Amino acid sequence: MLTLEAVSYRYAGARRAALRDVDLELRDGEVLGIVGASEAGKTTLALVASGLAPRAIGGTLRGVVRIDGRDVAAAPMHEMAAQVAIGFQNPATQLSGVTETVFEEVAFGPMNLAVPRNEVIGRTWDALASLRIEPLAERHPARLSGGQQQLVAIAGLLALRPRHLVLDEPTAQLDPAGTDLVAEALSHLSARGASICVTEQKTDLLAGLATRVAVIDAGAIAFSGPADEVLADPRLADLGVAAPSAVRLYRVADAAGLSPVARDRLTAALAEELDVR
Amino acid sequence: MIVRWIAALVAFLVVAGVGLVAFGNFSTGIDPGSFFDSEGANSFALILAVALVLAFFVYAVVEYLQTGSFASISRQFDTRTIVLMPLAIAFNIILGQAVGAALKIPIYLDSIGTILVGALAGPIPGALTGFLSNILWTYVVPPPFNSGIAAAFAVVAAVIGILAGLFGRAGWLRPRPDRPMRDLFAGGVVALAVVGFLAYYAYTRFYGTTFEFFNPDNTDLLFSLLGWLILLLFVAFVVGFIGLLFVRRDLTVAYVVIAGVITGSVAALISAPIAANVFSGVTGAGTDFLVAAFRQAGSDIQTATLQQGLLSDPVDKMVTFFTVYLILNAMARRTKARFPQGERLLDDGDDEVLDDLETPPSPQGAPA
Amino acid sequence: MAAVAVGGFVGPLLLVALGVVLPAVLAGVIGQLARLTLLLSLPIAISAVLVNVFFFPGGETVLLRLGPITATAEGLVFALEILVRILAISGAITLFYLTTRPAELVVDLERRGVSPRVAFVASASVQTVPAMVERAGQITAAQRARGLDTEGSAWRRVRGIVPIVGPVILGAIGEVEERTMALEARGFTRPGRRTLLWWPPDSAWERVLRWAVALAVPVLIVARVAGWLTWLP
Repeated sequence: MLTLEAVSYRYAGARRAALRDVDLELRDGEVLGIVGASEAGKTTLALVASGLAPRAIGGTLRGVVRIDGRDVAAAPMHEMAAQVAIGFQNPATQLSGVTETVFEEVAFGPMNLAVPRNEVIGRTWDALASLRIEPLAERHPARLSGGQQQLVAIAGLLALRPRHLVLDEPTAQLDPAGTDLVAEALSHLSARGASICVTEQKTDLLAGLATRVAVIDAGAIAFSGPADEVLADPRLADLGVAAPSAVRLYRVADAAGLSPVARDRLTAALAEELDVR
Repeated sequence: MIVRWIAALVAFLVVAGVGLVAFGNFSTGIDPGSFFDSEGANSFALILAVALVLAFFVYAVVEYLQTGSFASISRQFDTRTIVLMPLAIAFNIILGQAVGAALKIPIYLDSIGTILVGALAGPIPGALTGFLSNILWTYVVPPPFNSGIAAAFAVVAAVIGILAGLFGRAGWLRPRPDRPMRDLFAGGVVALAVVGFLAYYAYTRFYGTTFEFFNPDNTDLLFSLLGWLILLLFVAFVVGFIGLLFVRRDLTVAYVVIAGVITGSVAALISAPIAANVFSGVTGAGTDFLVAAFRQAGSDIQTATLQQGLLSDPVDKMVTFFTVYLILNAMARRTKARFPQGERLLDDGDDEVLDDLETPPSPQGAPA
Repeated sequence: MAAVAVGGFVGPLLLVALGVVLPAVLAGVIGQLARLTLLLSLPIAISAVLVNVFFFPGGETVLLRLGPITATAEGLVFALEILVRILAISGAITLFYLTTRPAELVVDLERRGVSPRVAFVASASVQTVPAMVERAGQITAAQRARGLDTEGSAWRRVRGIVPIVGPVILGAIGEVEERTMALEARGFTRPGRRTLLWWPPDSAWERVLRWAVALAVPVLIVARVAGWLTWLP
């Protein structure tokens, strides 16, 4: 379990705090969605939760980040890396840039942690298999499509065997097909017991994936709760977050004066037709 | 700590001494005017540079033996610097190759990355960036970005990185915008005086004895043209420099010019003996015609490469330092500040902004 | 071939010393090497011949007179001497990267104790060069589509460089932050050695050969400095 207790964070040299008094709990085996307008603090939250802020980028942190109840303030970054993995939105910058095959790229993390050679190989094949990208193993990472690179980057995180996975807008640069691939991979993972925290602007993705959702506004948690409740909350729009397509369909049908039965049938049929969750 | 420095100093003196005894030949042909005319003496700066690099290795080894780590050195190599170095090396190689092979102009532009890393991270990362750039350029990077000659000048590149690191550490590349005219004027005069002095010194010591740009007896068309070209460049430089200084009102332009000229002069002193002894002054680049011109005028190879270097290098490094300064200005404050030496590149006003920060909630005051 | 790989780290002075010996060794080597070597050394060779044939100071035997410049026999001899030297150097370098993959070299160096961070810088640089060239190509195409002049006079071309080089450099620097975080998140900062998945084989005779080459170099330098080689042409 990963918890943030009354965490405030300010970037080095910034005037204002980017996070204020954030309390958050990522339970084992759950998928937590974080939504909010751009600049609301989603990325900062991901950086703080993964330990990169303030370790790698400086700044001032108040409050406590705990893993299984233990305060991790003093742990160096490479120890955090084995506990919490973090992925970013741009696949190109997440690849190490020193490997010539996807296999080596995925193995890069465990190699850095000096995991024994045979175990590195085993973990790498497992990570590739769980995202169904074994056929890419011999390819050059720089010669893949953006979606494939994102999957390789996520596989590189899985090979670290972290118990917590933080993903910052993992599908921001992906086409719908790529988004589906990532969503599918993530639900597989959570089904296998990993706890995942995903920040997203695409609420459609979270609607089918997250168990809980927290809404962040101006660096603070505005409200949180079970995914379907939060994503249907009318306050979302005021905080700069578009509701999922299914919720919007529902509202449009309502506004058009359809009866509750007709409305439900229409939205269900349209959702089926347009393949939205 | 002191032991390391003493060991490095001893290594420097020993290597320099051995080098001078083995290669230097000071007993013949020293021209008291230029001091660099004989072949042996010409290698003086090169030997010192090699000694400097070896002394650094001795320092590192002694530190390792003492403490089992390279802490004082590795502090300059955070992950951010490690990520920047390959980019810097790629800038060096690509720009250097493009300018050297394609454009055929007598400058190099192959040290933008080196100077950038030196300024942001420190002398040692700067030196390593320069050194690795030139080694990789020759031995690892495949054609068409391969240069057969670069590795020979790796020592020069390392010294350029060291100098850039020192200038960065001294805060020379800190922006100084909107200064009063009086300061700008003083800065302009100082910079022009330094450049003028070095130009005059180089002219009287290294050129004057062999040929005159505007000697009325000189019937050689090549040299008249060359003389006019150089004069034109100089005028363009002075106009551009003054314009930048007073339009941008940024006093750092003057520092950039001085840093460039000093770095260029040092680079010329070190690279001339390499160019002369290893390549006989011919490197396949745009600088060859200058060497040829000086040799035509009667200089031997050693002198001609030095004359070419003293002409090309200060201009080249000035342009490079200026480019790096523009890049640094284009970088976000926050991004700069996180590099090991980055805080020395922020302008004076920034400190006050930092003091105005809204303080985050204190641990006691923070509600649970 | 690892002998060549590791033996390749010789300094400039050593190359010159070897330049006397290597041409003979290289004479019997196959087409690809010869072609690449010639291609690589051509610009510098032409430059060397022109400069020395026409501008050799103190040359007295005049071969040809073209206005203010003269070609001398002394210059020609000197130019040939330099040509051999250039061929030797570029031949050795060409042989080196025809037989050695950069990745193998870096892994081998890391196995022999070079810091993983230096190894990272070396292999990342090798991969960054073509990536950045590709990026510059894309930006050039984009700028050209927007009507930027990349042909034409020298001054226009120089001006054209700025909108191409600027975005490449600044874009790359802008990514430094994210790359840094991604590397740290993958345990890059852990001190000490890391696990290697593979390394190039290294046989006994390769080791012997490597030591022999490494020993030959200082011997040659000493020989040259001491003047024992003056009988060589």
